[in-house]
Amino acid sequence: MRVRRALTRWLVVLGLLHGIVICAGFFAPYDPAEQDRKSPYLPPMRLHLLDSQGHLHAHPFVYSLKLHKGSFDQYEEDTTEAQQVKFFVSGAGYRLLGFLPSRRHLFGTENARIYLLGTDAYGRDQLSRLLFGGQVSLVAGLLGAGITLLIGLSIGAVAGYFGGWRDTLLMRLAELFMALPWLYLLFAIRAFLPLTVSPLKAFFLIIVVIGTVGWARPARLVRGVVLSAKERDFVRAARGFGATNGYLLRRHILPETSSVLLTQAAILIPQYVLAEMTLSFLGLGVPEPVPSWGNLLSSLQQYSVLVSYWWMYLPAVVIVPFFLVYLGLASSLQERGDAYKIETRSLGNLT
Amino acid sequence: MEPLLKVENLVKRYAKRSLPGTPEELLALDGVSFTIFAGTTLAVVGESGSGKSTLAACLACMESPTAGNIWFEGKEIANLEERARRQVRPQIQLIFQDPASSLNLRWSVMEVLAEPLILQRKFSREEIDLRVTLLLERVGLSPETLKRLPIELSGGQRQRLAIARSLALEPKLLILDEALSALDCSVQAQIANLLMDLQSSLGMTYLFITHDLAMAAHLADEIAVMDRGRIVEQGPAQKILRHPEQEATRQLLAAMPRITLAPPSLEQ
Amino acid sequence: MRYLLRRLSHALLLLAGVSVLTFLFTALAPGTYFDEMRMNPQIAPETIAALRAQYGLDKPLPLRYVSWLSSLLQGEMGFSFAYNSPVAPLLLVRARNTLLLTITSTLLAWMVALPLGIWSAERLGRLPDRLLSWGTAMLLVIPDLALALGLLVFAVRSGWFPTGGMASIDFEALSVFNKLRDLALHMILPVTALVLSTLALLVRHVRAAVADVLNAPFLLAALGHGIPKRTLLYRYALPAAANPLISLFGFSIGVLLSGSLLIEVVMSWPGLGPLLLEAILARDLYLVIGGILFSTFFLVGGNLLADLLLYWADPRIRTESNPR
Repeated sequence: MRVRRALTRWLVVLGLLHGIVICAGFFAPYDPAEQDRKSPYLPPMRLHLLDSQGHLHAHPFVYSLKLHKGSFDQYEEDTTEAQQVKFFVSGAGYRLLGFLPSRRHLFGTENARIYLLGTDAYGRDQLSRLLFGGQVSLVAGLLGAGITLLIGLSIGAVAGYFGGWRDTLLMRLAELFMALPWLYLLFAIRAFLPLTVSPLKAFFLIIVVIGTVGWARPARLVRGVVLSAKERDFVRAARGFGATNGYLLRRHILPETSSVLLTQAAILIPQYVLAEMTLSFLGLGVPEPVPSWGNLLSSLQQYSVLVSYWWMYLPAVVIVPFFLVYLGLASSLQERGDAYKIETRSLGNLT
Repeated sequence: MEPLLKVENLVKRYAKRSLPGTPEELLALDGVSFTIFAGTTLAVVGESGSGKSTLAACLACMESPTAGNIWFEGKEIANLEERARRQVRPQIQLIFQDPASSLNLRWSVMEVLAEPLILQRKFSREEIDLRVTLLLERVGLSPETLKRLPIELSGGQRQRLAIARSLALEPKLLILDEALSALDCSVQAQIANLLMDLQSSLGMTYLFITHDLAMAAHLADEIAVMDRGRIVEQGPAQKILRHPEQEATRQLLAAMPRITLAPPSLEQ
Repeated sequence: MRYLLRRLSHALLLLAGVSVLTFLFTALAPGTYFDEMRMNPQIAPETIAALRAQYGLDKPLPLRYVSWLSSLLQGEMGFSFAYNSPVAPLLLVRARNTLLLTITSTLLAWMVALPLGIWSAERLGRLPDRLLSWGTAMLLVIPDLALALGLLVFAVRSGWFPTGGMASIDFEALSVFNKLRDLALHMILPVTALVLSTLALLVRHVRAAVADVLNAPFLLAALGHGIPKRTLLYRYALPAAANPLISLFGFSIGVLLSGSLLIEVVMSWPGLGPLLLEAILARDLYLVIGGILFSTFFLVGGNLLADLLLYWADPRIRTESNPR
């Protein structure tokens, strides 16, 4: 119905956005670690179709940037040569989806370099860094949410199904975790772990840290679902057929938690991507030179950068479309959950 | 002849802790005793809160009684441990009041019926298919129903499905916990007739729990009246109807809807 | 009364539990703080050994916790290695600044969110409500980091507001009125950032809570009795919505405290946030524990306040806990 169609639309857009980031190697013209020390903090280049003499070109092109006479940080376009933008060019090698080696990029130029989103202090292309950084941040968010939901599901199921002292103990523990403001808790957990580790270890470290922060609320929600599902007649009936606890949990009770888990996922993933960005921005997350949306922003902690180089701000807003889609997804999922409940209730009264 | 089920002095106490520090106790069953012989129907009648559902739960081995004994086919089953209980449960089946909640509405009819057979783990796929079709026939549902979802069925059809499912494991005793109360009058009659047919063809034994004395009189051989956890009166169905002895029984009788021929005002 | 005592003991237990949790974290940490110190050639090994003995780091964990807890109850929160001073006075100053920021932002945020949410709930589903939902959605998807950085850029470009800190250089020399004015100017940006970052969420929740109450049957019945709409809203609906709204208030304190951490760091507001960050980067054990405890204390305290408000506002809670 209507809700299902909205849900599908959101999922498609989500897939597209994530797809672009997954295929960062293809969409990005350069390797994110490639430096160009001669071109620090270049502003973004503009695409043109009309050149300075008023001729229309068949392909879009850019002008290289050269320094203004007498300035050492003001750039202007070098209109002597139009650098044609070619599509599906061959460039730096990369691995598509992590294992398929390829050299094909969506676009690129032949003689000079094209910087559609400018460069940073080391002359690294910001567009490429943005795309690859997205991989790091999004994966951190997704995996972190996965861990949280796994923990929350297990604890909530045990607390709700077995009740008694287990329930009391686990729910008290959940209260403890919810008593800390979540960002402080995140910092606390991060604080007591080694500061300087390799980028890969740091990556998994912060995923685990982020994942362990937020299990309390999903656990409570799962517990609620399990408590009510436990009392349903079809569970008692299955018990009458000789079902064990494990069977009941697996086949009847846990499937009831699916809608809660999905909605929580849609809410947690953007929160966790933001958590990674915050940690990396402050130097506690993924370290250089590996790009992430967070550490791409860390140069903004210097006023000079913040004020003069506006394109360094872009990683902060690139997350907005992702958030929007996740928000829409969460709303649709909640609507679907409500609709299903109404459906079963009303149809249950038809005799 | 040995009774199929013999219940002796069954007691069930629940400890309720509403506020910390004030444990309350609920005495749901206060020394219940009766026997049921195979092939017969005993109706347990009482108002809500009289302990009927607790009785059903204890008999079906879902709960353990605080005290007392239950003998099923000569074997004591009240104080078994979990593993042994799981063996006994398939032989005493419960049918619930609300047909919508006793079936997992996310499952198909096929899955619902196959579940008890799959749980027993001794049947092949083909055997299960065969048995499922037979079960449907037995309760008067067409094989077409297999393809549908329980959501699409009517209340009466769902209750037939529940009965079919509980018959899958060939139980000796069927406990019907207000199983007809949620159905429309005409449907009640149909299901009641189905149950009677099954009793005569399969030799089923029923424990019929209800608050409706009229229904009990129609279906049961013996009636036991429950009030606040005790059986206050017990005997053959017709005797209870015609010569009730206890107050509780009389109140239940008074609650039965009766059809009078003319409204009182017209008689003047 | 019993209810309040129960909530108070619950809060204290929570704080105790958090202190145990934080202490456990330090025990589970791979590599101690003193390992990092050992790598610093300026610190002699004897100093390290002496410090370890002084803080009893050689003793088993439960003993350490007990001795830490007892000194805590005497007002001693340990020693900061980085600042070379006791922890408590450092924290108190910063805590005061964080409270100033957080309380102001909470009040402001609620003063905006409550009327907006109610107004929106009254017009549920109609154009103004849908526009507001759209607006809050837009605000919701902008990360606080972007907001804070953006406001900072605006401050620098426009020159209207100071770009960080809590006081100008010549603060001490100003008159009382000018001191207040200087403080207010410094506060405007961080408060704006904090309020904006939580406003969207608050408005949505207020709207949902009030809409729930407005749909209640008892309200429809009151309308049927001919009670005018204004009275309905203020004397019937809002008191009924007080329970979820007060719970929301408790929840919002947690959100605002978390948000304040980042905003304080970005805008150089001298609160608990930047202190905690420095402490983490410097591996300053007791300062970190102290900072976390303080923030938890505020959160738990805020929730206790919410519980008190609930007791006062919701008669059901009063009768529930005082059975006849």
